Amino acid sequence: MLLDAVHREVLSDPRTESRHAGAAAIPRAPAEPGQRGIAVTVRDLHKSFDGHTVIEGLNLFLPAGGFTAVVGRSGCGKSTLLRLILGLETPTGGRIDLDGTAGSPRRSEPPKRIMFQEPRLLPWARVVDNVAVGLSGHGTRAERRERAQAALVEVGLAEKAGQWPATLSGGQRQRVALARALVSRPGLLALDEPLGALDALTRIGMQDLIERIWLAQGFTALLVTHDVAEAVALADRILVVDDGRIALDLWVDVPRPRRRGDPDLARLEGRILDHLLGGSETPA
Amino acid sequence: MPASKYERLRDAAIPWLLPAAILLGWQAAVSVGLVSNRFMPAPLDVARAGWEAGRTGELWTNLGVSTLRALAGFVVGGGIGFALGLANGLSRLSERLTDTSVQMVRNVPHLSLIPLVILWFGIGEEAKLFLVALGVIFPIYANTLHGIRSVDPGLVEMGRVYGMSRTELFTRVVLPGALPSIFVGLRYALGIMWLTLIVAETISASSGLGYMAMQAREFMLVDVVVLAILIYAGLGKLADALTRQLERACLAWNPAYRSA
Repeated sequence: MLLDAVHREVLSDPRTESRHAGAAAIPRAPAEPGQRGIAVTVRDLHKSFDGHTVIEGLNLFLPAGGFTAVVGRSGCGKSTLLRLILGLETPTGGRIDLDGTAGSPRRSEPPKRIMFQEPRLLPWARVVDNVAVGLSGHGTRAERRERAQAALVEVGLAEKAGQWPATLSGGQRQRVALARALVSRPGLLALDEPLGALDALTRIGMQDLIERIWLAQGFTALLVTHDVAEAVALADRILVVDDGRIALDLWVDVPRPRRRGDPDLARLEGRILDHLLGGSETPA
Repeated sequence: MPASKYERLRDAAIPWLLPAAILLGWQAAVSVGLVSNRFMPAPLDVARAGWEAGRTGELWTNLGVSTLRALAGFVVGGGIGFALGLANGLSRLSERLTDTSVQMVRNVPHLSLIPLVILWFGIGEEAKLFLVALGVIFPIYANTLHGIRSVDPGLVEMGRVYGMSRTELFTRVVLPGALPSIFVGLRYALGIMWLTLIVAETISASSGLGYMAMQAREFMLVDVVVLAILIYAGLGKLADALTRQLERACLAWNPAYRSA
C-alpha cells in the first residue's frame, strides 16, 4: 500500500517537488497521497465583531507549501485572520479562496487542520485514539488506529499510544496534538501559538519537530505567534499585522537547517521587534 | 508474599472496624442490662429475627418486592431525568421551554404528594413507582444538565474543526465530558430512591421492607424493626459500592477516580 502511495505521488503533482529545491539537504520521507500544499488567496478581507473592526481590507497570497508566520501585538487581529482562513469565523466582507478552486469537489481536497494553543486532547480517549480523531469520518476504526500509530511514530511518541493524556507532560501532549493534526496529511496546517505554554527547551524541540515534518510533508504552514524568534527560526516569510492590516511583509532568506543565534536571523528579529515596539510611537 | 497479603487484608478491614465496634458495644450494652431489650434488641436477637424471617421466606419476598419497585422507579425517573437533562443541555429552546417548570416542580418535596398519590393510585404498585420516579428525576436531571454545560467548549470546537459528525461530537466529546457529573447525580438519586420507597412502603403498602417494619411495630417486634433498618444500611452501602465500581470503570481516564 505504501509503495502504491509513493508511485502516485511521484506521478502526480510536480508542484510539490519544486518548493523543496532550496532544502535539498534535508531528506524527504516517503510521500503519501493527498499530500500537497493548499494555496490561500485572501482578497479585501474585512471582519468586525459588534461594530469593532478587527481586520480591515486585508489582501494576502500564501503559495502552496510555504511556511508563513504572522506576528503582531496581542489584539492586532492575527488570530482572527487565522480563524477566518480556517473557516472558524465568517468574514464580514471580502473572500478567502483555498487553492483558488472555490468550485472544486470537496471530497478530494486535502483537509485543513489547526493546532491550538492548548493541546485540546480528549482526556477520556487513549493517546492513539486522540490522534485518530484527526481521521474522523475516514476508513474503519482499525485503519484509523493504524495510521494514528504511524503518526505517533513521527512525533516520537509511539510507546505512549495506550496511555491516557493525563499521564503525559505538557510537551508530549502538544506532540500528540501535532500528530492528530498531521495524521490526515493536511494541505494546510494552521498553528495558533501552539508552543506558547511550553518551557523554552521543550519549545525549541517542538520547533525543530514541526520544521522537520513540514519539510517532509510539504503542507502549507501558517503560524501565528507572538514570539518573533520563533517566527524567524521557522518561517520563510513573516507578516507583521498591525490594526487589521499587513504592516510588514518580509522574506527570510536564511537557508535551512537554521542555527539558533545566527546573526542574519538576529538582525531580522531585531528589525521586526523594532517595528513592533517602536511602530506608531516613535516620532518620524 | 504473606506480608502483602496481610496488608491487603488489613486495608480491606479498616472501613469495617467502626461498624463492628458499634455492633460489639451495642451487644455489650444490652447484655449487661444498660439498655432495655424491649426498646433496643441486641444484635444477636436481631440476627435471630433475621434468620427466622429468612427461613420462612418472608424476608426474601419483601426484599425482592422492594428491590423491584426501587429499580423500576429508578429506571423510569432516571430515564426521564436523563433525557430531559440531555435535551436541555443540548438545546436552548428546550431549556427555555421546560426549565422554569422543572425548577418549580423540583422545589415541591415529593413526599408531600403521598396523600394525593394514595387518592389517585390507592396503595398499588403505581403509587410507589410514581413517587420513586419523581424523587429520582431531579438529581439526575440537574447533574446531567450541569455536566453537559460544563464540557470544555475548546474540545467541542476541536471536534467540529476535525470533522466530527453531530453524533460523534455527542458520543465522543459531550457525553464523556458530562459523565463525572452524571455519576454524582446517580449517587444522589440512589439515596433518594431508597428513602422514597421506604417512606412510601411504610405509609401505604401491603408488602415490601417498609411494610414489614410497619407490621412488626404493630406487634411490638422491635427486633424485626431494627432488622429492617439494618437492611437499609446494607442496601445503601451495596448501591454505593456498585456505583463506585461503575465510576472506576467508566472514568478510568480521570486521575481523580483511579483506584482509591
